[in-house]
Amino acid sequence: MLIHVLNGLVYGGLLYLVAVGLVLIFGLRQVVNFAHGSLFMLGAYVAYATIAIAGFWIGLLAAAIVLALLGLLLDRTVFRQLQDQDPIVTVLVTFGLLLVLEDFVRTVWGRDNLTVAVPQLLQGTVDIAGASFPIYRLFVIAAAAVIGAGLTIWLKTSRVGLYVRAFAADPVTTGMQGVDTERVSASVVAVGAGLAGLSGAIASPLLALSPAMGGSILIESFIVVVVGGFGSFSGAFVAALVIGQLQNFGIVFVPSIASMVPFLLMMAILIYRPEGLAGKAS
Amino acid sequence: MKRTRKTATAALAGMLTMAAGSALAQEPLKIGVPTALTGTYADLGNQAKRAIEFAAQQANAAGGIAGHKVEVEYLDTEAKPDLARRQAEKLALQGNKVLIGAVASGEALAIAPLLARWDALYVATINKSDKMTGDSCTARMFRVNNADSSDAATATPWLKERKETEWAVMAADIAWGRDVAASFAKSTESQGKKVVSENFSPLGTNDFATYIQKIKNAGAKGVYVALAGRDAVNFATQAKQYGLLDSATVAGVSFVTDNTVASIGEAAKGISGIINYSSTLDTPANKEFVAAWEKYYPGTTPSNFEGDTYVGMQVIFQAVKATGSVKAADLAKAIPGRSYDTILGNVLLRKEDNQLVRPNYFGIVEQNGGKLRPVIKMSVPAEIATVAPSPACKL
Repeated sequence: MLIHVLNGLVYGGLLYLVAVGLVLIFGLRQVVNFAHGSLFMLGAYVAYATIAIAGFWIGLLAAAIVLALLGLLLDRTVFRQLQDQDPIVTVLVTFGLLLVLEDFVRTVWGRDNLTVAVPQLLQGTVDIAGASFPIYRLFVIAAAAVIGAGLTIWLKTSRVGLYVRAFAADPVTTGMQGVDTERVSASVVAVGAGLAGLSGAIASPLLALSPAMGGSILIESFIVVVVGGFGSFSGAFVAALVIGQLQNFGIVFVPSIASMVPFLLMMAILIYRPEGLAGKAS
Repeated sequence: MKRTRKTATAALAGMLTMAAGSALAQEPLKIGVPTALTGTYADLGNQAKRAIEFAAQQANAAGGIAGHKVEVEYLDTEAKPDLARRQAEKLALQGNKVLIGAVASGEALAIAPLLARWDALYVATINKSDKMTGDSCTARMFRVNNADSSDAATATPWLKERKETEWAVMAADIAWGRDVAASFAKSTESQGKKVVSENFSPLGTNDFATYIQKIKNAGAKGVYVALAGRDAVNFATQAKQYGLLDSATVAGVSFVTDNTVASIGEAAKGISGIINYSSTLDTPANKEFVAAWEKYYPGTTPSNFEGDTYVGMQVIFQAVKATGSVKAADLAKAIPGRSYDTILGNVLLRKEDNQLVRPNYFGIVEQNGGKLRPVIKMSVPAEIATVAPSPACKL
């Protein structure tokens, strides 16, 4: 049983890192970023390319940095122009962006599935409650926890974090208080994109790399964001853990409808608690 | 002056008509390929595409098929049946009535009932479901690759040799995966063995950890896998990390193929599996094919799906040669009941269920020719590997 819980934490952790980026970008730019899954995918490919030359840890770092820079660029050229647009426009543009990025990856790395080896240091398994569990998966749980905690501390204690929370609550008033909203937004989008890239890199030894890998994680991340309450950081955290476990135990106990379980939860939330798990009713 | 101009005009008109006439006689063979160019099965769709491209350029370089230039159009189906139906319809209505190359069985089954309405035909080269040559067979659909029943007939003797009695099944939750699981359960039962854990994962599953854990908890000593493309790579990579590949005997269908082995790497070593086609097949025609392929796609050898799709193109081309027609209706009549010179040797496409009668193979992933790849260890002759036509198919 403990092993199943740990498995749920691994995937929940990855989902959280992707979903929190979506929440950040939505909070600051009011843009629902459909291209977010492709940022995850691109992160994995950047890691793949870098790991081949410079090793695993540099690969992680490179994926985060390259994607953060891409985030800055996207914020300047796309998200900023979109923030006052009709939601349907933002959906279409970011979805188009997803297709462009997927085609870019297909052109550079081809259509074959690629794999990344687990780093030497984290190979092998450990015995937990009588079952063997891959060490790398423990690392994924730890990494998600550390990044999640770091992000929370940053948002709760730093000045920029204060601006971010204020901005997510009321952009106009925050701007009137003299906060340089453009700069705050740009840096936050960069953090969101960087996190997507980092989680793609962390996932690369677990998942086969293919241009399609962004699509499936994006759908699950959206479920996390909706269940958690759009724009809520703590909600995304709780929802990612819940979805991770639900998927897992769905496969264990109700295999025939396991893939439906997260969607059923999302429907229930939308009907009975549309503000999300952590959201406050307005 | 006026008269010369008139004569010149008439001559020009005559020449134009003649040009048009000769173009008509050279009506191109228009092939439509609705296949998975993106998504979980993009790897397989891309193999189909490579083989078709190769066959088309080879034919055109030799002056076409009986003077007919070969033209090919591709549309992406994402391996989704409803999208495959729409894309196949689009291709057929644009005049590409000879269809080939879809990946999932669900796609072929979605296309099949509409072929007559579109005046098209479909040659299956990857789709394996028995239904296609069973109760869903039609006079417009043909299959050149091995069906699920053929894979089962090949796996059963192998299974008989195995000492493991507790088996787990890990299959894709689509028509093909369900088919394989059902026939594997039948084989184990008939041999006094047992399936202790049966798992179906949705297409495009990222994390197989829970399935792997369930298989381990069930105490399975062997695992039979029906996953393809990205699913296969994900499962193999993660099963290795959990130690499942080392603690249990693992075999499968479409699981360890030339392409997935290249992606999985060392972890694939020692996994057994059905091999429908291998570039190492020792026929003169196959050697010639592999040599030409290596020249056209430097640094690669044809994979199983590429070889099988090429067989499909050979069947189409030879039917065109035999009838002199590129019309789907004529070809659909000419294809069944005829023998074809293919890279597999001279094989019959039997008319009872429109299935090519061909051998099947079983093997293991090992180092071969400086490369890790599935290597044939056991051959099953055509008369056993292609099981008798299903009485459910009435053509």
